[in-house]
Amino acid sequence: MRFAFRTLPAASGGALTPWPVVDIALEGLAAAPIECLLDTGAPRTRMSAEIAPLAGIELPGDLTEEFYIGGVKTVGALARVNLTVTDGTDEFSWDAPVWFCDPWPHPFGLAGLEGFLHHFIVTIHAYDEYLDIEPEPQLQDA
Amino acid sequence: MVINGRRWPPKQVLALVTGLDRADFTTHQARRALTRLGFPAGRAASPRGRHPVVSRAATPLPSAASGADGRPALLTEALRPFIGLWVAVRGDDVLVAAPSPKEVVAWLAQHRQRAQSMFRVVDSEQAITGAAPQ
Repeated sequence: MRFAFRTLPAASGGALTPWPVVDIALEGLAAAPIECLLDTGAPRTRMSAEIAPLAGIELPGDLTEEFYIGGVKTVGALARVNLTVTDGTDEFSWDAPVWFCDPWPHPFGLAGLEGFLHHFIVTIHAYDEYLDIEPEPQLQDA
Repeated sequence: MVINGRRWPPKQVLALVTGLDRADFTTHQARRALTRLGFPAGRAASPRGRHPVVSRAATPLPSAASGADGRPALLTEALRPFIGLWVAVRGDDVLVAAPSPKEVVAWLAQHRQRAQSMFRVVDSEQAITGAAPQ
């Protein structure tokens, strides 16, 4: 599956630097996949806690952790969620731990090692501004 | 029409370029002629509002990123009126924009629409990269 880098307009005119994203649909929120930054430096997959209730996800009060993200101290609550990516032709779903964080400083989610990168072989074509992902064969056979 | 990152009325552009009188052709004919020349077209959308608004681009491109030929990406320009808002997009179309993801999702459900992606349109790279912990 191929995902083009996304380019947003700059308020001052022109455009911001294109960045690598994948659109990840949460079970219960298939109509609005969440834009997630591909973050090879992130140990976990995280997104705003604001998203959880929209997908009908109840966040447990006991599985939480505090950490800094984007310079902001936040609290993440863990939930296992069925996730789906599609490029409009192919589709792949998997079950993954996702940390829903409040507050959340970013306009997107973060697709990190646990929850996303462990499940895919990712090839980043930064010069041409797109990335390819394919499901990890070992997990497909498992 | 979007030319060098700015929107122009298609009839005005075609009249200036060809010297024809604007009454000699319709907006649709002007838009079609210009899009065939490679200029992206986008329907003017309402600026930020309290309620979700819809903007549909007239000529979707296959890629959401900047084209290799250097043309401005249609989605990027379609998003410009919605800086600071949450949006749902499909291809190069902005389906809806609203102050919160809850409102975006509600609009999608109400109109039985399915987006490709939902995110907030930031206005600076700092909003993406964040700041170092204090």
